[in-house]
Amino acid sequence: MITDNGVLIKVEGLEKEFSGMEKRALNGVSTEIRQGEVVFVIGPSGSGKSTFLRCLNLLEVPTGGNIYFEGIDITDKGNDINSYRQKMGMVFQQFNLFPHLSIMRNLTIAPMKLQGKSKEEAEATAMELLKRVGLEDRADSYPNQLSGGQKQRIAIVRALCMKPDVMLFDEPTSALDPEMVGEVLNVMRELAEENMTMVVVTHEMAFAKEVASRVIFMDSGTIVEEGTPDELFNNPKSERLKSFLSKVL
Amino acid sequence: MEFFQNFADRFYLNFIAEDRWKYIVNGLLTTIEVTAAALVVGIILGFIVAIIRATHDMTGKMKIPNFLCRVYLTVIRGTPVVVQLLIIYFVIFGSVNIEKVVVAIIAFGINSGAYVAEIVRGGIMSIDKGQFEAGRSLGFNYAQTMIYIIVPQAFKNIFPALCNEFIVLLKETSVSGYIAMQDLTKGGDIIRSRTYDAFMPLVAVALIYLAMVMLLEFAFNRLERKMRNSDH
Ligand SMILES: Nc1ncnc2c1ncn2[C@@H]1O[C@H](COP(=O)(O)OP(=O)(O)OP(=O)(O)O)[C@@H](O)[C@H]1O
Ligand SMILES: [Mg+2]
Repeated sequence: MITDNGVLIKVEGLEKEFSGMEKRALNGVSTEIRQGEVVFVIGPSGSGKSTFLRCLNLLEVPTGGNIYFEGIDITDKGNDINSYRQKMGMVFQQFNLFPHLSIMRNLTIAPMKLQGKSKEEAEATAMELLKRVGLEDRADSYPNQLSGGQKQRIAIVRALCMKPDVMLFDEPTSALDPEMVGEVLNVMRELAEENMTMVVVTHEMAFAKEVASRVIFMDSGTIVEEGTPDELFNNPKSERLKSFLSKVL
Repeated sequence: MEFFQNFADRFYLNFIAEDRWKYIVNGLLTTIEVTAAALVVGIILGFIVAIIRATHDMTGKMKIPNFLCRVYLTVIRGTPVVVQLLIIYFVIFGSVNIEKVVVAIIAFGINSGAYVAEIVRGGIMSIDKGQFEAGRSLGFNYAQTMIYIIVPQAFKNIFPALCNEFIVLLKETSVSGYIAMQDLTKGGDIIRSRTYDAFMPLVAVALIYLAMVMLLEFAFNRLERKMRNSDH
């Protein structure tokens, strides 16, 4: 269920404090992710980008604030987070494919065990998606037989096999050799063109400029500035964003 | 010639006369029975304890079960298995009529479980945290992530250590004579007390253990190689 104004995820006053850390990783973050939006999160190292993203599906449990996913407060302990996670695909920097399972099994295990799909059904979906990323011939391979770029494309497909409503990416190209970055970005670009709702943490500024519908700049656990790519990259307002851009562009 | 005649006579006296070979064969069967059953008990117990401990380490939950597990591990690993066997037989089951084989299975199972638990826990903790997160992010709950993602990978890593524990267990059951259970070792010892010949029965017992251990090691090595080949 999407709320009336198309808001898929609403974040209110999000806080995260890691035990033993004096500074909060997140210090009151509020924003909305709308249906079909491609939101890029940028900012210096340690600014809380990953923590923010990982709070969205409660891989990190926030210590304050609320997250509404499709209108439901998922930070409320009474709600079963596992069922909401099925609708939020996540792609990790380190791919995290399951090395003991074949590619096909990596792609079908969750739909079969969690959504009650038959083997045929799950494999048909997986095959179709594999074709789209050009890896249909690797169905019977194992993760360790693939290159980094191939692994990450498989990881994206694994998340897509659950037919999620939103895809979360945490620096999906940071662990890749430079010549493999392009093939992963191409897959992400296609997803964006198909109006998949996406939240992407990245250091690929050129890609953010090109694909983002909105950019969030974070620093010290807060959102300092957000707006269209043109607004942020070409007319930054805050000093912190200006100095950040001068370093990365 | 005289040597061979002498050897044949002693062989006859120790194993053939009065069907003494039955002590060896029946003892061997008891040893195998106790080892196999204790292995099953140990593995089940070990996996349960390991998962409780790993869950506590990773999530901070299960404080009380974790505490009980730690007491169990400390006591079992801190005392000799013979003492544990004697306590279980004479103290815990002292006033009940219970078969010695069952007591041995319980004692060795509980003992082995403690060692299996620490092996398995090490295996679980050695799996990259990202595997766990990938499982949870797809919507698997904690238990499903353990069952489908973590434990199968951990099992592959710890298989050699588990095999080793199996071999240790097989040899450890040789102290069952303390509760007068007639296992392989006790069988050989009974023959010795009847024939006053120590060499023949005890060396025979030693060779049988050795043969079993070598056979197991051969089988485990093959299995391990097979598992490694299927690991890509
Ligand atoms: N598990 C954790 N335990 C303790 N502190 C943490 C943990 N994870 C993150 N932090 C701290 O929280 C702050 C924000 O970290 P986060 O990983 O969200 O930053 P980031 O913006 O993703 O940085 P990077 O660009 O380097 O990935 C940092 O100060 C970090 O040290
Ligand atoms: Mg990060």
